[in-house]
Amino acid sequence: MIMGPLARALDDRLRLSPITRRALAKIFPDHWSFMLGEIALYSFIALILTGVYLTFFFDASSADRVYQGSYAPLDGATTSAAYASTVRLSWDVRAGLLIRQTHHWAALAFVAAIVLHLSRIFFTGAFRKPRELNWLIGVTMLALALANGFTGYSMPDDLLSGLGLRIITSVVESIPLVGTWLAALALGGEFPSDEMIPRMFITHVLLVPAILVALVSLHLGILVRQKHSQFPGPGRTEHNVVGSRFWPGYTLRTLALFAWVLAVLFALGGLVQINPVWLYGPFAPAESSSPAQPDWYVAWGDGALRLFPPWEFRIGGYLVPAPFFPGVVLGGLSFVALYLWPFVERWCTRDRHPHQLLDRPRNHPVRLGIGVGALTFYVVLVVAAGDDILARLLRVPVYDLLALFRVLVLVLPIVTGVLAFLIARALRRGEAVSLGELTRADLRRATRPAPRRPAGEDEPEVPVRHRPGERIEMWPQGELWRWRYRNEARQLALTNNRAVTSEQEAVETARLAYPGVDRVVVPGPPPPPARALRVALRRWGRATAAGSLLVAALLGRRRERRRRRDGDDEPPPA
Amino acid sequence: MRRPRAVTLPTPHPRRALAVGSVLALAAGPVALAPAPTPTPTASTPAADQGTQLYLEQCASCHGPQGQGSQRGPSLIGVGPASVDFQLSTGRMPLSEEVPQATRRAPVFSADDISALVGHVSSLGGGGPQIPRVAPGDMVSGRALFAANCAPCHGAGGSGAVLTNGWIAPPLYESTATQVAEAVRVGPGLMPAFPSQVLTDRQVNDLTSYVQRLRSERLDRGGNPIGRLGPLAEGLVGWVVVLALLVGAVRWLGRRAGE
Repeated sequence: MIMGPLARALDDRLRLSPITRRALAKIFPDHWSFMLGEIALYSFIALILTGVYLTFFFDASSADRVYQGSYAPLDGATTSAAYASTVRLSWDVRAGLLIRQTHHWAALAFVAAIVLHLSRIFFTGAFRKPRELNWLIGVTMLALALANGFTGYSMPDDLLSGLGLRIITSVVESIPLVGTWLAALALGGEFPSDEMIPRMFITHVLLVPAILVALVSLHLGILVRQKHSQFPGPGRTEHNVVGSRFWPGYTLRTLALFAWVLAVLFALGGLVQINPVWLYGPFAPAESSSPAQPDWYVAWGDGALRLFPPWEFRIGGYLVPAPFFPGVVLGGLSFVALYLWPFVERWCTRDRHPHQLLDRPRNHPVRLGIGVGALTFYVVLVVAAGDDILARLLRVPVYDLLALFRVLVLVLPIVTGVLAFLIARALRRGEAVSLGELTRADLRRATRPAPRRPAGEDEPEVPVRHRPGERIEMWPQGELWRWRYRNEARQLALTNNRAVTSEQEAVETARLAYPGVDRVVVPGPPPPPARALRVALRRWGRATAAGSLLVAALLGRRRERRRRRDGDDEPPPA
Repeated sequence: MRRPRAVTLPTPHPRRALAVGSVLALAAGPVALAPAPTPTPTASTPAADQGTQLYLEQCASCHGPQGQGSQRGPSLIGVGPASVDFQLSTGRMPLSEEVPQATRRAPVFSADDISALVGHVSSLGGGGPQIPRVAPGDMVSGRALFAANCAPCHGAGGSGAVLTNGWIAPPLYESTATQVAEAVRVGPGLMPAFPSQVLTDRQVNDLTSYVQRLRSERLDRGGNPIGRLGPLAEGLVGWVVVLALLVGAVRWLGRRAGE
C-alpha cells in the first residue's frame, strides 16, 4: 500500500520509470544452460554474506595467542592468533562452524560453477564477436576466484594450508632471476613471515572481492547492453531474443535458483565436514601431514608438480629449477590460452561477423575436440594430485600410479579430444539427433574427409524437410512489409518485430529465420487466434463493463437532476 | 596331552567371540588392563606349556622352532614382549599367507593365549622392549607430539597414508592405547622405533591419550568427515553436489519455463 506512493515519490525525483521499465522488460532465454553463471553469482553472494560474519571473529595476525576454549587438545596451547581464532570460531562461537563450513563449500561451488559456465560459453561459441570483452572479464574473474580461494584457504594458518603456502612460495621462487625477489616482496621477508597473514587477509576480504564486485557489475552491464545470445530455433534470429521477460517470469525463476543455492550450500555446511583445522593443528615449518592436497581448483597445479620429472638446467648461469615448468609456465600458459582463444579462433576461421545465435557444440568439431581434450588434461592433473589417496585406497605402489598418470596426462587428452571430434562430426553429418542414436555407420562416415559442398553455399543451411502446417505470411503495411511465422500444429504465431522496406527483404529475413518454409503473401495481419472460451469471456466482460458504465452514467445523471431540483426548492441557508 | 583348544582353531565362531571380547576388554582402557598379569619368562609351568604348544603349532613354521627365523619369517630373538603382543593382539600375526604388509584383523588368539605366547617368545632370550603400561596423559602435549612425530605418515587426522613401495601407514581408529604405545616403542614395519631416550613414558602416555581422542566422533563436529581424506574428497563432494543438485535445479527451472 505504501509502495505505490513511495515509488511515485522516488520517480518524481529520480525519473526511474524509463530505466526500470526497460530493465524489467529485458528478455532472458529459457534454456537451462544460461543459468549456470547465476549459480556462480549466487555462490558469490553467499560467500560475501558468510564471509562478513567470519570477519567478526577472525583475527588476522601471526602474533602468539593462547587458545582457551572447549577444544581440549588445544586448550591452553600457544598458537598464532589467526589459528587460535579459527579454532575458537569453530568450537566456541555460536553458529561459527556452520558459517565457516558454508563459506568454504560456497567457495568450492563458486569456482565449480564458473568452470561450468565457462565450458558452456566455450562450447557454444558465445565468446565470438561481439562478446569477446565479456569473455576476457570472465577469465579474469576465474583467475581472481582461484587467487581468493587460495588466500582464504591459507589464512587460518593451519598445518595443511601452511604446506600449500610453502609450495606456492617455492613455485614463485623458482622463477629465474626474479623469483626470490618476488616472493620476498609478496611476503615481506622469508617464508613464514609475520606480515603474510595480514596481507592475505586484506587481499582476501577487501581487494579481490572489490575487484570481483566491479567486474561482476561490468559483466552483467555488458550482458544487458549486448542482449543475450540464444540457441538457434524456430522464431530465433540474429536480431531478436526469444525467452521470458525479467519481470515477472524470470524474476521468480532466478529467485528460486538463489534459494536453491543457499539451501544446498547451508545443507552442506551443516552436514558435511570441511577443512577441520583443529585436527590439522597450527602450522610449524618442521611438521607435515599426509595425505596433503590443496582445494580442488588449485589441485591441477599440485598434480602437475607431482607428475613433472625433476629436470633442471642453467641458462646463462641462472638455474631454471624443475617447479618452474609445471608451476609457473603451465599456469601462465593456461590463462594466456584462455585469454587469447576468441582471437585465435577468429584468426583461424576468418570469421569477423558478429554472432547472436549460438553454435550447437557439434557444429564445431575442432573446437569441441580441443575443449574436451583440454578439460581431460586438467581433470587428469587434479586426479594425479590425489595419487597418494588413490594408492592407499587401491593398495598399489604410489610410484607405479605416478608413472601411469605421466602416460595418461599425455595420451588421454588426445584420445578424448579425437573421440569428441569424431562424434561431433558424426552427429553433424548423420541423421542421429542425440548421442544415443549414433550408429557405427555414422562414426565410420565421420572418419572420412568432409564431402565437398557446392560453391556459393557458405551458410550451413538446415536440411529442408516437409513441414506441414507451417508457413510464412507476409503483408504490406503502408510503405513497409511485415511477416510472421505460423504453425498450425503447435498453434503458434510469431510476428517479426522488425518491419522491412520491401517484399524482397521480407523474403530474405524470413528465409534466414525459417529456411525451407513456404511463404505466402496475405492482404493484412489476420486477427490473433483466440480460444472460444476466452473470446466469450472477453465479450461478456466487455458487455458487462459497458453495461455498468451505462448504468453508472444514468444513475449519476438522475442524482444530479434530483439534487438540482432539491436545491431549487430549498430555501438558501441562513 | 592334546589340547582341544588347538584342535578347534580353524572353526572361527567361539574363538571370534573370545577375540572380540578381548579387544573390548583392551579397549576399555588401562583400568581393565592393569590387573592382567605381566607375563614373564619364568611363569608357571602350565602357561609355559601352553605358550610352547601354541608357538610350535602356529608360529614355528615360519619363525623356526627356536625363534631363530627362516627364509619365510624373521628371527624373534630380541624382539621383546611389546612386539609380540602388538603383532598378535592386532591380528597381524599369524599370517595365513605371505603378504608384503600384514594388515589389522580380528585377533586369532585369546588374551590368555597371547600372554602365553608372549611368555614363550620372551623365554627364547634377547630382551627387547616390555609391554608398556599406559595411563591417561596430557592431551595438549600429546597433540604436539603427534603432530611432530606421527602426523607425517599417519595423517594429522589419524586416517593413515601411503608410504613407498605399496606400504601404508595404517589408520589409527581401531588401535587401543596399549597397542599405540607398543607400536611407538617397537616400530613395526617401516615405522621407526621411539625408545625411552626419545620419548619418555609420560610422553607416550600423552600421545596415546591424544590418539584415543582422535577416535572420538566429537572431533567430527560439522558433519560427515568423508574419511578425513582432506580437500580432494571435499572437492569431489562439492562437484557431485553442484552437478547433481544445483545443475539439476537449473535444468528443472529452465525446462519448466519452456513449457
